[in-house]
Amino acid sequence: MKIRSQKKKGIIQKEPSPEYIYVRPGMSPSEIVKKVRTLDGVGITSTGMRDAGQSDYKNRHRIFDLRTLAPYYNRMGLFSAECHGGARWHVGIMNRKESPFEEIEILREEMPNVLLQTLIRETNLWGYRPYPKNVIEYVVERVDIDVWRCFSFLNDIRNMRAVAEVVMKRGRLFEPAISFTQADWATNEYYLGVVDEIVSLCGGVDEIILCIKDMAGVGSPERIRSLIDAIKQKYPDMVIQYHRHSTDGLAMPALLAAAEAGAKLLDAQEDSLTRFYGQAPILALQAYLEEAGVRVHLNREATEGAVQKVREWIGFYEWAESPFRGFDHNVTKHRMPGGAFPSSFEQAEKGGFLHLMPDILKVMSLYNQIVKYFDVTPGSQITWVTCSGMVNKYAKEHGKTGVNNLIRLLDKFVVEKKQNFSRMTKKEQEELLQLFRTAPGDFKNLLLGGYGKLPVGWPDNWVYQSAFGEEWKEKIKERKELSPLDSLKDEDLEAQRNDLSEKIGRPPTEEEFILYLMHPKDALEYINFKEKYGETPLVIPTNIWREGLKKPGDVVEFELWGKPYSIELVSIGDEHEGLIHVVLRINNRTIVYTVETPRLKKAEIRMAKAPNEIGAPISGNIWRIGNPERGTIHVGDIVHKGEEIANLEAMKMENAIIAPFDARIKEICVKLNDSVVEGQLLFVLENL
Amino acid sequence: MKKEIKKILVANRGVPAVRVMITCRDRKIPSVAVYSTPDRLAHHVFMADEAIHIGDAPPLESYLNMEKVIEAAKICGADALHPGWGFLAENPDFAQMVMDAGLVWIGPPPSVIRTMGDKIEAKRLAKRANVPTIPGIEKVDDIKKIKRWIREEQITYPIMIKAAAGGGGKGMVKVNSEDELKTALSQAMSEARKSFGDDTVLVEKYIERGRHIEVQIVADEFDNVVHLHERECTIQRRNQKIIEEAPSPTLDENLREEICFTAVRLMREIGYRSAGTVEFLFDADTRKFYFLEVNTRLQVEHGITELITGLDIVSVMLDIAMGKPLPFKQPQIHPNRWALEVRLNAEDPKNFSPSFGRITRLQLPHGPNVRLSIGVNEGDVIPPYYDSLFMLLMTAGTNRLDAIRVMDRALGRGLRIEGIKTIQPLLLSIIRHPKFIAGEFSTRFIEEHMDELISMFRERDSDEEVLKIGKFVAEISALGPRDWM
Repeated sequence: MKIRSQKKKGIIQKEPSPEYIYVRPGMSPSEIVKKVRTLDGVGITSTGMRDAGQSDYKNRHRIFDLRTLAPYYNRMGLFSAECHGGARWHVGIMNRKESPFEEIEILREEMPNVLLQTLIRETNLWGYRPYPKNVIEYVVERVDIDVWRCFSFLNDIRNMRAVAEVVMKRGRLFEPAISFTQADWATNEYYLGVVDEIVSLCGGVDEIILCIKDMAGVGSPERIRSLIDAIKQKYPDMVIQYHRHSTDGLAMPALLAAAEAGAKLLDAQEDSLTRFYGQAPILALQAYLEEAGVRVHLNREATEGAVQKVREWIGFYEWAESPFRGFDHNVTKHRMPGGAFPSSFEQAEKGGFLHLMPDILKVMSLYNQIVKYFDVTPGSQITWVTCSGMVNKYAKEHGKTGVNNLIRLLDKFVVEKKQNFSRMTKKEQEELLQLFRTAPGDFKNLLLGGYGKLPVGWPDNWVYQSAFGEEWKEKIKERKELSPLDSLKDEDLEAQRNDLSEKIGRPPTEEEFILYLMHPKDALEYINFKEKYGETPLVIPTNIWREGLKKPGDVVEFELWGKPYSIELVSIGDEHEGLIHVVLRINNRTIVYTVETPRLKKAEIRMAKAPNEIGAPISGNIWRIGNPERGTIHVGDIVHKGEEIANLEAMKMENAIIAPFDARIKEICVKLNDSVVEGQLLFVLENL
Repeated sequence: MKKEIKKILVANRGVPAVRVMITCRDRKIPSVAVYSTPDRLAHHVFMADEAIHIGDAPPLESYLNMEKVIEAAKICGADALHPGWGFLAENPDFAQMVMDAGLVWIGPPPSVIRTMGDKIEAKRLAKRANVPTIPGIEKVDDIKKIKRWIREEQITYPIMIKAAAGGGGKGMVKVNSEDELKTALSQAMSEARKSFGDDTVLVEKYIERGRHIEVQIVADEFDNVVHLHERECTIQRRNQKIIEEAPSPTLDENLREEICFTAVRLMREIGYRSAGTVEFLFDADTRKFYFLEVNTRLQVEHGITELITGLDIVSVMLDIAMGKPLPFKQPQIHPNRWALEVRLNAEDPKNFSPSFGRITRLQLPHGPNVRLSIGVNEGDVIPPYYDSLFMLLMTAGTNRLDAIRVMDRALGRGLRIEGIKTIQPLLLSIIRHPKFIAGEFSTRFIEEHMDELISMFRERDSDEEVLKIGKFVAEISALGPRDWM
């Protein structure tokens, strides 16, 4: 069997048909806005390279496969390709081992006509916590994206200021989004207030595109028609984009309603990628809208090519699909956003509580009436962790009955008693006052204003009492009304850079540093992975990436930096003492790799970490413990600063180990004539 | 006196052993290898026509064990012994034992080794021969003496403590201030004892930013002393040379002539025989040179002299040992090339920490003007007991830039070593460094530019990169999908 990787050289690059391309990188924001305003019909943003994969495949679509769509995108006449941001960034470094910087670089080269679009969470950027202003500015300045769709899960427009300023100063298109949900408090007046703030932040409507972000897919067609109509009446020149997930099953009519009400841009994805939680299928959308008399600006022939291309690789991702399949109209109640669906179910599966999902979704639908904000990152994570934690706690303590009791309690409080705390019984009140005690820190930070103002006011006092216990009154006093942009202190970027430098033993690249600023732990693992496995994530086809070569004779062929390579499996040996020998033929050379299995027992080497721990300066042999003057040193001995306490020989050179301060020897961690590695712990000292 | 040599025992391992055996092959003289237990499958064992096991891994039980080496020579019926460099090469007692056993010692007379091996004595002789020497004191055993000297002679730190019997950077400790003096002295004495069996040390003023220049000498028993021009070995790490070149880019014609003839004068004065080297420290600021020491043996870097002169110095050593006169006179030596040598040590290029292990792949550079001197084969293990040097790479050209260009090709695009860490990336960074190319450097070049040199390491190469991909494919094929995916 031969497994061929797609070779980019093999694809015939057709010249894009100029009549379809109306916006391209390099155009100023006002030019782009003007072009869209005067466009005959609606334009399309393809989410095939980001949100589609996030919503139905846990963001596991690899750039290796996505890039095969680029030549088609280049000719499709898209408004933009959303290919960056959201959770793709984090999952990229954590699971796919791909850098978002590499991805942009590849796509820029392979689809130069297409505006590249990101999704950014105002102060929470591409991480999950509010970052200080200087970090936001530093990062946004260094990412090569054309369209910056920016949302706040609180619709706290103040939080967008830093991103907006940098993006607009760079001459890139800023696309502020209002987070949309359908609820009694989420009225047109409420949204118009948010739009007013956006218009005032961005100095009018001529250099921005306004997005309505229906991240859960809950907007009913008439609700959407009414909202867009209201905005268009107040701001007739505003260009509006409707971003919608399909979860409730009503995406198509809602998108048509949006277009009829005056939305100029809609989000869609390849029909062949479509499952349940992402965007609408692009070819079907075009057909449906055009039948209704709305022209859709799209090169159908090129789009068909992209839809067909997806079928070549989508089968490799079955394992990544959500275990919860099918539309879910109840999303209008629990409001879990499309982008969070597969990852939440994945966590439930890994955590062994998949069977509790219906209960968790029910609790979410009640919880979101008590604490009101928009279920989208990081809000959706806060909701998820808080509610799944609550349900799990009840399930552990009282089983299924406990979970039912929790739902009954919340339902009675929210629905029957209309959240009037005093109308609950004493016992029920006591239980409610314990409800949020074990809630996650992020939930508590949210209550204290750490992310900004909540959209329609702070929750009732009992929620604070429940979360903080006796301290609740003081906590309310601490509550911040400021945007985190104004309340968070700047970070010392140079110190962070040095920190990373030290951890990886060399100066980091700018890209590595930015990854580290966002996700320190995962960025380090990613950098280590790249050191070890190099370009693997970019050149290995997905089935090999996931499963390897299966039987002797299996070959994978690929191109690396312009040269052809092939790797053939010769044999996989039996496991012996935790090791497996794998023989590969790389081009014509046979190489044996020793693979460590999880069962390998490693002799653990203690490394010197603390200042009072003395490590070996280089690898070598400890041939003397102590020094010639006083002889051997023992545990308990007092040594003086500058005194030699051991000597290490490597390749016939001696290296004195010197006591860094006056100390008592607490522990001697090596024996005479031991071979030690660099950094290995030799002595533990104790201050006198 | 003419002596016949029919079989040579090479009392060494690795690069020097293999080097000597190559000339033996040229001269159609059978050679015999000796080996320690871990070297059973080593390259030099198979280069030789016969091989004799002489003991276990520690050098004192094998390559430094004089009785065993001589016993081996007797067993195999060798009539001569070449010590290579390192191990017993500069041990006068051993040289004497070899001769007493009726074997031809391919090297200088034991008495010369003894005198020159004593740094104090050597310096005295140098002074007598009117060779400039560095200010210093002799036979130091406590720090008071050093302090007094510093006071009286108004010496400023740094100073250098050296094993009187030393060489090769072992037993040499630089002292930057009085605080370090005590530890430094005991370290130098201990290293001296361990490496040379003698803890006598001397102290000298440390010449900052000095350059290391040495002159290759060959001398026969008919009082012909000929120099084969100089080499510059300024690029060092921890006092050990890692890049050498011939001729020196530092000297002008007058200085070159002066330094070469000074060396000849000294070697004639001490009655030198065989191949040897006079080392000088050159102070670029004052343009003065000082005598450092005489290396009474074949040197690691002799190959670049061979490249510029077209001679085989080991072969010349054999002729001298056989009692023949030198086959040339001074006027016949016309160097007409520039040659460069780098030493491939099995060490981490960032911190020089030794790297032991198996060489899983060894791909060698080819093409015009490249010479290799190798102590290992692909698949060999670098054991932790011996020197980390396992290969010399030399290049030549019509001028210095030419030689550097060839070295860049050989080191950057030809040589590939896998399985162990080597200083290859560091060597490449150095020869690409503008200061090196301009010839502006001192013995402190590496310590002064280390960060910059390390930052030049990252060279991407698809043949190396593909091994990482192979590693991934091997792991996934053996273990299946990973949790983190």
